[in-house]
Amino acid sequence: MALVSKQARQTVTGYLFLAPALIFYAIFLVIPVAMSVYISFTNWNMLGPLERARRVGFSHYVYLLTADEMFAASLKNTVIYALGTVFVGMAVALGIALLINQLRASALWRFLIFAPVVTPAIAVGRIWSGIYHPSGGYLNELLRLVGLPPQQWLSSAELALPSIMITAIWAGVGATVIVFIAGLRNVPAQYYDAARIDGASPWHEFWYVTLPMLRPTVLFLSVTGLIGAWQVFDLVYSMAIGGTESGTTPARAVMVVALYLYMTAFRNLRAGRATAGALILFVIIFVITLVLLRVLRRGGLEAYE
Amino acid sequence: MSEGRIATGVGRAQVTRARRAARSKRRVGGAVAGAVRFVVTLAVAAAMFLPFFWMFSSSLMTYQESIRVPPVWWPEVPQWHHYVEVLKDPRVPLGLYFKNSIIVSTSVTLLVLLTSSLAGYALTKLHFFGRDAIFAFFLSTMMFPTFLFLVPVYYILKRLPLVGGNDLFGLGGVGALQSHLSLILPFAVSAWGIFLMRQFMMSVPDELVDAARIDGASELSIWARIMLPLTRPALATIAIFTFIGQWNYFLWPLIVTTSAPDLMTVPVGIRMMGAAYSTALNAGKLQAATALAIVPTIIIFLAMQRHYIRGFALTGFK
Amino acid sequence: MLQRRRAIPGTWVRFGVVLLVVALSVGLIGGGALAAKKRVVWQVHWSDFQIEGIYKGDKLVTRGLKQWVEEYQKSHPDVEIVLQTVPMEEYLNKLMVAQAAGTGPDIISVLNTWGPQLVNDGVLDRVPGDLASDVKNNFIPVAVEGAGVDGGIWGIPFEVGNYALVYNKKHLQEAGFSGPPKTWDELVDMGAKLTRRKKDGTVERYGFAFLAGWESAVVHPYLGLLWSLGGEYLAPDFKRAAFNSPEGVKALEAELALFKKGATDVSASVWEFPQGRVSMMIMASWYESSLKQAFGADYEATVGVAPVPAINGRSVNAAYSWWMSVNAQSKVKKEAWDFVRWFTAQPLPDGTTRMGTYQAENIGSIPPRKGDLSGHPEQLNDLYTKVFVQELAHARHEPNVLQGAEIKSVLWHEIVEAWHGRKSPQQALDDAARQINQILKEFYG
Repeated sequence: MALVSKQARQTVTGYLFLAPALIFYAIFLVIPVAMSVYISFTNWNMLGPLERARRVGFSHYVYLLTADEMFAASLKNTVIYALGTVFVGMAVALGIALLINQLRASALWRFLIFAPVVTPAIAVGRIWSGIYHPSGGYLNELLRLVGLPPQQWLSSAELALPSIMITAIWAGVGATVIVFIAGLRNVPAQYYDAARIDGASPWHEFWYVTLPMLRPTVLFLSVTGLIGAWQVFDLVYSMAIGGTESGTTPARAVMVVALYLYMTAFRNLRAGRATAGALILFVIIFVITLVLLRVLRRGGLEAYE
Repeated sequence: MSEGRIATGVGRAQVTRARRAARSKRRVGGAVAGAVRFVVTLAVAAAMFLPFFWMFSSSLMTYQESIRVPPVWWPEVPQWHHYVEVLKDPRVPLGLYFKNSIIVSTSVTLLVLLTSSLAGYALTKLHFFGRDAIFAFFLSTMMFPTFLFLVPVYYILKRLPLVGGNDLFGLGGVGALQSHLSLILPFAVSAWGIFLMRQFMMSVPDELVDAARIDGASELSIWARIMLPLTRPALATIAIFTFIGQWNYFLWPLIVTTSAPDLMTVPVGIRMMGAAYSTALNAGKLQAATALAIVPTIIIFLAMQRHYIRGFALTGFK
Repeated sequence: MLQRRRAIPGTWVRFGVVLLVVALSVGLIGGGALAAKKRVVWQVHWSDFQIEGIYKGDKLVTRGLKQWVEEYQKSHPDVEIVLQTVPMEEYLNKLMVAQAAGTGPDIISVLNTWGPQLVNDGVLDRVPGDLASDVKNNFIPVAVEGAGVDGGIWGIPFEVGNYALVYNKKHLQEAGFSGPPKTWDELVDMGAKLTRRKKDGTVERYGFAFLAGWESAVVHPYLGLLWSLGGEYLAPDFKRAAFNSPEGVKALEAELALFKKGATDVSASVWEFPQGRVSMMIMASWYESSLKQAFGADYEATVGVAPVPAINGRSVNAAYSWWMSVNAQSKVKKEAWDFVRWFTAQPLPDGTTRMGTYQAENIGSIPPRKGDLSGHPEQLNDLYTKVFVQELAHARHEPNVLQGAEIKSVLWHEIVEAWHGRKSPQQALDDAARQINQILKEFYG
């Protein structure tokens, strides 16, 4: 009797504690997603009432997955962007973390690398559009000073996406560095001492001590980083598509999924199709994350659970 | 934390392997390595710093200097008056943008801290049916594209009962639109915050909670008096990440505030400056306005970074 | 046991108080937005001096929209006209989200591209009879054509846009040219000669730059070339695309000649004309104020305007238009139309209207009402706008087709592919036509 009542009490208390989050999700997540699923089966354009929109079954899904070249291109670009920014970004961040971890003025350093993280993407886009400017920008000026030919950073089909990725890495690397530094500080010093006594080179120290110890950090950053990167919008919008500075970038070379959805809904008046695309994107993110988590568990993430 | 477990498990084998490998290699010459390290460090510093320098120097340039090819690195006579003019310009009310951003980011941060720590406590220290399923649900919400929410949430905010002149059925008024609520409510709960709190609270020994229960403490007082103080580093981490994320969020505030300019936040303000100083003549002023908009943000970070770093170090969060 | 009983209420009460305070403050922030005056909201895409007015020192020399609205409010104290500035790129999406939630603006500035959908979905209120006949009788034909959807008039046109060749007189003189190019071949030739490269290959100055960045910017000049050659954009019944014809290919090849001969490249930007980095461009009328501001005292000596050079014969100009319309969902329709009537239709003593004056003097656009076209000689006969007004006689309004923006973006993306040399002109136009036919089939099939 006492046991049952304790169990019941914990259940009631548990749900009371979860109530704020659950109510919030009911209002701001479950209802919107349910609305979205319905919208994805209509040809609603947001101008008329949703009730009057014609129902079109699965035709948006079929069109997006089989016939829409721009959606296919945006998926491809998003995968390149996500993998590139997350993994190259992590490599760069790890390098910087190793560099500055042992420096004296590390507070100053943290500030220097973290300043871009707290700068709104819209301002980052504005700053970097100037830097990438083909004739008046500093990047081509630097190339000129070292005798290299100037590049059309944002308007060439080949360079536009990589240029945006460089900016994204610049803007986000600070947060990753801080996470790595926290990880590095948690490596017990005796491992390094032991390695040094045996005369291990710094490279071996890194390869056989540091890296294995950071594996959980790397895995965590991959998952959270990728979830964010699949949804990139601001930078591409402000630097390539929405910005008037370089309006000649071929859309197919830089279009990413979130931006495609935005343009489809708001410029091309196809909220139904865009919503279907967003649900497809969700399924893709979901599956990739599940797969990653599987891999991670094998790689030592059970320590998190 | 779980950290230690991994360390002891994996570490030893690795160290042995390192020893073996090290014998076959000689140490790199210290001086050369030092020089390389110095150059790389300098390059990294330059790469991080130069974009801001460019923004600053071009904010001080005359129109003629700003369009010169090759670009000018530093103006002959710095045009400090750009800053004065921007600050006086009623079209770019920087004070208003900051006020709104502070109200919104602070409110969201406090709400997220409250909801995350309550949920985190339930998910770790209470045992009840459906707990793991709920946690899995929270996690999966991170993966929904933002786009799905734009239109429905706008609609829901408008139909929110009993606010902004609405009746009980959400009709008659503007709902939560036209007020700060429209920028706060949709972000009051963070799956990421709940996830982090859960990770951290798991490291608090159950015995501590059980002992308090035996002493007759209620769950709420255990949460308030034991868990909150113990999880302060995690709360600090969540606070700063939420604050910065909210501060920089652009798309939603843009959509909500175009019909309520009194609510514009800093990123929307930066976008509006682009419109206000759209002609090339105003390039310097535009850069000055952008600088004025982001420098306080950086100062806020400076003020908080100690907590932030400590949060990481103490959570052992990876 | 006793202890616990005391502990529970204590903490829960405190917690409850905190929640109550939060809820109350939330309610207080949320309430409080109720106005006594009738608010008429007009969502506009103007900003900067266009709203605030143009000042010389402290003296207002040209009224902005704000000053006109203030005048109206003085004579109509019960009405408040609220101007919501939304950047052009965000105009439509803002309108849509607000519309979906039932909070759309009362007065909408409608770009003709969006018109058919807005009409189709019942967003726009019918234009009152007096205003509709006013449009039919007192506006130039291309504007009446542009404001029409399915034979009805859906707004008061306040701006017609078309294109002309804008060039830098000084650059042309320096290079030894006595005047602007008359034919497309001359344009290509002069553009190539005007381009200045440095040793490392950096372009210091482009002979020519295309307008780019959004669908109309790229498609309108192309339509001009296509129509000049006798080609067609869409079939008259809107059932299929017609531009992938020999004329269409020839028009795109004409554009590509500028790239191939080195007169321009994909980095050239019309926004750098004021900085002297571009010598010639095909530009719209709304750029006048920016150019005046940028060149200052040098303006007249620098800026030249000529008709767009023809490939052969007379060039046709692609035109578009903006209308002022009232939201069918508005709760203050009467007040909204009253303001529209006062602003766009009530003639002033000299036969002009307030909107016409605002467009001509402040925006530098062409007001399509006949009384305004003749009533602002100082602005509309000046060196910049004169050519645009003359060219309106040879202008053809783009068709008001459902999904007009989507159709244009398809063509925009494919033209840019051709500019980059990633597709041949025929390939790009065929690909565009295929996608556009699909859209047309859906809406007109």
